[in-house]
Amino acid sequence: MNGISVDMKALKKGEVNLGTSIMAVTFDGGVILGADSRTTTGAFIANRVTDKLTQVHDTIWCCRSGSAADTQAVADIVKYHLQQYSVLYEKPPTKVAAGLFQELCYNNKDALTAGIICAGYDEINGGEVYSIPLGGSLHKQPYAIAGSGSTYIYGYCNTRFKSNMTKDEAVDFVKGSLTEAIKWDGSSGGVIRMVILTKQGVERLIFYPDEYQKDY
Amino acid sequence: MVGFSFDNYQRNQFLTAKGYPVPTATATGTTIVGCRFDGGVVIAADTRATEGDIVADKNCEKLHRMSPSIWCAGAGTAADCEFVTQLISSTLELHSMSTGRAPRVVTCLTLLKQHLFKYQGHIGAYLIVAGTDPTGPKLFSIHAHGSTDVGYYLSLGSGSMAAMATLESKWKKSMTKQEAMELCAEAIEAGIWNDLGSGSNVDMCVMEVDKPAVLYRNYRTPNERSTKEKSYVFARGTTAYMSERVRPTVKPLAYDIFEETVSSTGGGESMEIDG
Amino acid sequence: MSDPSSINGGSIVAMAGKDCVAIACDMRLGMQALTVSNDFPKIFQYNNSFIGLTGLGTDVTTLSEVFRYKVNMYNLREERDIEPETFANLVSTTLYEKRFGPYFVGPVVAGINSKSGKPYICGFDLIGCINFAKDFVVGGTSSHQLFGMCESLWEPDLEPEDLFETISQALMNAQDRDALSGWGGIVYVITKDKIVKRLLKTRQD
Repeated sequence: MNGISVDMKALKKGEVNLGTSIMAVTFDGGVILGADSRTTTGAFIANRVTDKLTQVHDTIWCCRSGSAADTQAVADIVKYHLQQYSVLYEKPPTKVAAGLFQELCYNNKDALTAGIICAGYDEINGGEVYSIPLGGSLHKQPYAIAGSGSTYIYGYCNTRFKSNMTKDEAVDFVKGSLTEAIKWDGSSGGVIRMVILTKQGVERLIFYPDEYQKDY
Repeated sequence: MVGFSFDNYQRNQFLTAKGYPVPTATATGTTIVGCRFDGGVVIAADTRATEGDIVADKNCEKLHRMSPSIWCAGAGTAADCEFVTQLISSTLELHSMSTGRAPRVVTCLTLLKQHLFKYQGHIGAYLIVAGTDPTGPKLFSIHAHGSTDVGYYLSLGSGSMAAMATLESKWKKSMTKQEAMELCAEAIEAGIWNDLGSGSNVDMCVMEVDKPAVLYRNYRTPNERSTKEKSYVFARGTTAYMSERVRPTVKPLAYDIFEETVSSTGGGESMEIDG
Repeated sequence: MSDPSSINGGSIVAMAGKDCVAIACDMRLGMQALTVSNDFPKIFQYNNSFIGLTGLGTDVTTLSEVFRYKVNMYNLREERDIEPETFANLVSTTLYEKRFGPYFVGPVVAGINSKSGKPYICGFDLIGCINFAKDFVVGGTSSHQLFGMCESLWEPDLEPEDLFETISQALMNAQDRDALSGWGGIVYVITKDKIVKRLLKTRQD
């Protein structure tokens, strides 16, 4: 090292990682976010009951994957801007929140390790899911999966997803998908957390291993 | 004057390039824990400080006061824990003086995490933040890169695995203050005995809602040194010396204090100051 | 190759006794194995506070001047002498300011509080973490040996004259097993009203 160039590997040594399985799914009447609850530092589970589903506005939430520090910092900044937005103008549409995430992740792509799914419900657009993967691009999708565990469930999700599911169907879809992701991915585990965003507001669900693994 | 100075950075990089490794700073190879109970929260730490494989301090203090009812246990680089904690605690005090309210634990947590995130992990402070405020007892942990966690029971440092083993097997929801204190002490002792980086005594701090926080310095002392069987005092005159100089201690500086009174010249308009 | 703090060599030790403290250093300045000087004392006095600075020679000299400047400024601003506790915090913050480009030193502070008369000793790492000790603190290239010597020789409530023997023997026997320290020794024994400085008769190899 010559004092000018920076070693990125040394910079990120010992960082807390959200080796993760996260997803968000639109359904008839809203959107569901789901995540496992494992955070790791290397091979050590630093927290087995993490909450990776983070509120950035009343009915706009995000799923965080990648560096815990980076994604928390980004979510905190987005939350701040959305609060400002709602005071000055109106209730922010999900697209605005997703745009903020994208802007931060794109402009600071060299310094961030953040894979975020932003999902929300608003009266005009209903439930929406936006995926912001590592480089800081923005993708509107009917459903999105991300994190290290997601690689194992692309096929599962692709065959099982239907548009305009009922709420119960969607919950089963998320639970089934994350169960598989947790099963195959060593960096994912713990409980399955869900947040359901509808016209009625926010509903939180939690599923313990005893329940979601009962079929094995 | 504010912030870090990088004056020696290039010189040290040159030295490193020449093959001189940078000496290690005191790392608190540590066990720290925190645990919530009904109506409060307790944190505890061991008291060993190490420099490499040398025990630098056998009874150091790893529990830092952020405000009267918010305390912090630190692991990682000892100096970083000490200074980040001092900096944020003074920010908190100024903040509480300007708002006229007691500081909240989340405020403390946010200030710490934003400071640590700014330095991208180069400030090696790993903290367990605990305290009580009008919103109840709170317990958090912060890693050096600025990520935070919430929990009913937490452990950090090189002895965190040993401590977590104790916490995971003996923790239960809804504990009394005494139960929580014993659990934390036992978790720290697990670190003291099973982790080489941790040792000596158990320090503890108990924070209860609407009560002043209580610090139990050396709550447990399972490694007390026994008194020596024999005295090794040398006979006076053993050591040969070539010269001796005896001086009185420096007397307090004798400053002359001048007093001067300035008054206007009187009569007519008073002198205009500041244009 | 060795690290920057053991190029020039040198050792420091401080001990607390009954209403007294002692601080001692060796006299060597070297360049690796080559001894350059046998007249390089490493203890500096500011008012009634003493600091021993071991490590990279250039930083020892630089810091001793920095502290002289800072203590003089303190005296002018506060119109009083600096107490050892205050001085220790001054040392600590000065070192931490250079957190990401440190001075390669291992300082030790000793003194007696002029108000309470209580002995005060402490040590630091290179970035200013204070090690508050009740018994003794060590620093420098023979710190390993000094730890062993002090751990066995030191006992509580030593009178000034006994403290002198203990610290001197601890230093001399430690530096006899360190190639980078030695070539003389200086011991300060500090009581509330008197400072005794002695030049030890030691091996010159």
